[in-house]
Amino acid sequence: MTEEKKTVKKFRWFWAWQDEAEEAWLGEMSRKGYHLVAAGIPCIYEFKAGEPKDYVYRLDFQSFRKKEREEYLQLFQDAGWEYLGQMSSWQYFRKEAKPGETNEIFTDNESKTGKYKRVLYFLGFFYIILIAVFWGRIWGESPYPWWDGIKIFIAVVLLIMTYAIIRLVMRIRKLQRR
Amino acid sequence: MSSKDDVKKYLPLTEATYFIMLTLTEPLHGYAVMQKVEEISRCAVRVGPGTLYGVFTTLEKEGLIVKVSEQDRRKSYTLTPKGKAVLANQIERLELMSHNGAAVLKRLKADGYEGWVNR
Repeated sequence: MTEEKKTVKKFRWFWAWQDEAEEAWLGEMSRKGYHLVAAGIPCIYEFKAGEPKDYVYRLDFQSFRKKEREEYLQLFQDAGWEYLGQMSSWQYFRKEAKPGETNEIFTDNESKTGKYKRVLYFLGFFYIILIAVFWGRIWGESPYPWWDGIKIFIAVVLLIMTYAIIRLVMRIRKLQRR
Repeated sequence: MSSKDDVKKYLPLTEATYFIMLTLTEPLHGYAVMQKVEEISRCAVRVGPGTLYGVFTTLEKEGLIVKVSEQDRRKSYTLTPKGKAVLANQIERLELMSHNGAAVLKRLKADGYEGWVNR
């Protein structure tokens, strides 16, 4: 019998508005027997092969100091959630799905909305900085030939961020209407 | 003492916040709060850790609860006088709503309404 502890690495891009798809994907992987080892480096996922399990994965978005973090993680641990680490500011948790227990880390719309607001403020902050720094330079004359390439790159980044912000605002609106 | 307007701006409390504050008449740490809310609401209200962390943060920032002790990494909170005033006001509001509702429910039942609970 070959009982080797195989690890599989996957590369996957994850947009800010796809957190629920991300949670579902990780759960799907676990049901196939591939369990996320830890969250860390963006876009690179390491899975350990094992018995298929019905895990629920949940993501929160938080950036905080060490002291606050300890209290936060203790709460999740006490409630039965395993901490898998963070990818940028996304906090990864998992728990075995059990009937009669909450498989959610957010149990009301107010706190769900709060999570998307934190993502929105985070993105909005960088969005404003990018615009403040580059707006004039995008439309101005190119001082060097390679500047055109950078201009296109920044324009694309801004477009994607605009899209992300719209998606997040729509999500928040939908939650608030419920 | 907190003024009337100061208290009213927090009302109405969300269901989760209300039940969390009900448990904090005595010092409790996070996990104990989650268990107690489940118990007193007869499992109707469950508070996930993400929701609880958010409520704790907001209530502490607004001065409605205060940290009283820390054991290992578990912090215990309890209501401040301002927190008690907010909670008392909320309870009074609910009493008024429930009192008015009870009279109407009695009339509805007299008209033949049997209630969805018993169905």
